[in-house]
Amino acid sequence: MKIMNCPLNGPRNISEFVHGGEVSQMPDPNSCSDMEWADYVFYSDNAIGIVTEWWLHAPSGYWFIAERHTASDEIIRTFDASEIFNQRYEFPIKAEEAVV
Amino acid sequence: MHTIQPESYSQRSFIYRQFSGEKSVDNTFMQVAGGVLALSTGKDSDAPGLIDLSLVPRAGFRGVNAEQYVNSMGFPVPASPNQAAMTSQGECVLRLSQKEFWLLSHPQQNVCDRVEGYALPENGCYPLYCQDSHTWFAMTGKHCPDILAKVCGVDLRAACFPPGAIAQTSVARVNAIIIHHVIGSEQVFSIMSDSASATYLWGALLDAMAEYEGQVYGLNKLIE
Repeated sequence: MKIMNCPLNGPRNISEFVHGGEVSQMPDPNSCSDMEWADYVFYSDNAIGIVTEWWLHAPSGYWFIAERHTASDEIIRTFDASEIFNQRYEFPIKAEEAVV
Repeated sequence: MHTIQPESYSQRSFIYRQFSGEKSVDNTFMQVAGGVLALSTGKDSDAPGLIDLSLVPRAGFRGVNAEQYVNSMGFPVPASPNQAAMTSQGECVLRLSQKEFWLLSHPQQNVCDRVEGYALPENGCYPLYCQDSHTWFAMTGKHCPDILAKVCGVDLRAACFPPGAIAQTSVARVNAIIIHHVIGSEQVFSIMSDSASATYLWGALLDAMAEYEGQVYGLNKLIE
């Protein structure tokens, strides 16, 4: 059984984890083009090499981030999401919505 | 046939059918939080046992201010995630992450009554409904780590998993929280899992326990 190290729960069988997709920078939803937003929501780079990904430890409902080599499937490092996302993002209210 | 049966109450354990009908011949029941749980199953031995605690009240809180809220109610707060702390009244405080706490009652008490007297903080703390979402079984006896090793990948032997430890992991392919703690004077492994899988998990655990002559016990194993 392949083992993954959960930052909260420690080493666990890989069957306890769910892949959550690549970590990517969100464009400003109010100023970006539709193409940029669609790229963020629907597309992934699918690169060969070390990528940064969201993973879920399902029994504890804990989302964290892992660095993994997509060719060798070696997990380089796992860490809490607060290392990257250290403040809450408040979505700005669009002007027309604010009027309503 | 006993007059008190689980079907007599609208509040029932997720596995009440395992204790009713033909299976209830030797059972006596005790009222717990609007329903009944088995007080005795007519069996008493040193063999490992499985006890249904699903109706025993519990409450959960999550948020950046949850730790402060739990502390303000006078409960001990475990220092790190996946640790449990006991109160002098037999309640158990679980810290499941930096910002998530569950409070488990002693079977003869109701921790929710105590919590009701304290208003939630305005920000950064909200309740989690862990009563109807999760089933609660307690496994007792010497061979618990050996039995659970058959269905769980985490090392639960005393050296690695002392009293007060919590493991959030997979048990018999079902997500579960395992807590090593004390109820009454009995060391138990509490197993909390998705209520929808309760009947399956109850059967899977009894199947794993069969090798050690495991029995279904009632609450009298835990309370005086």
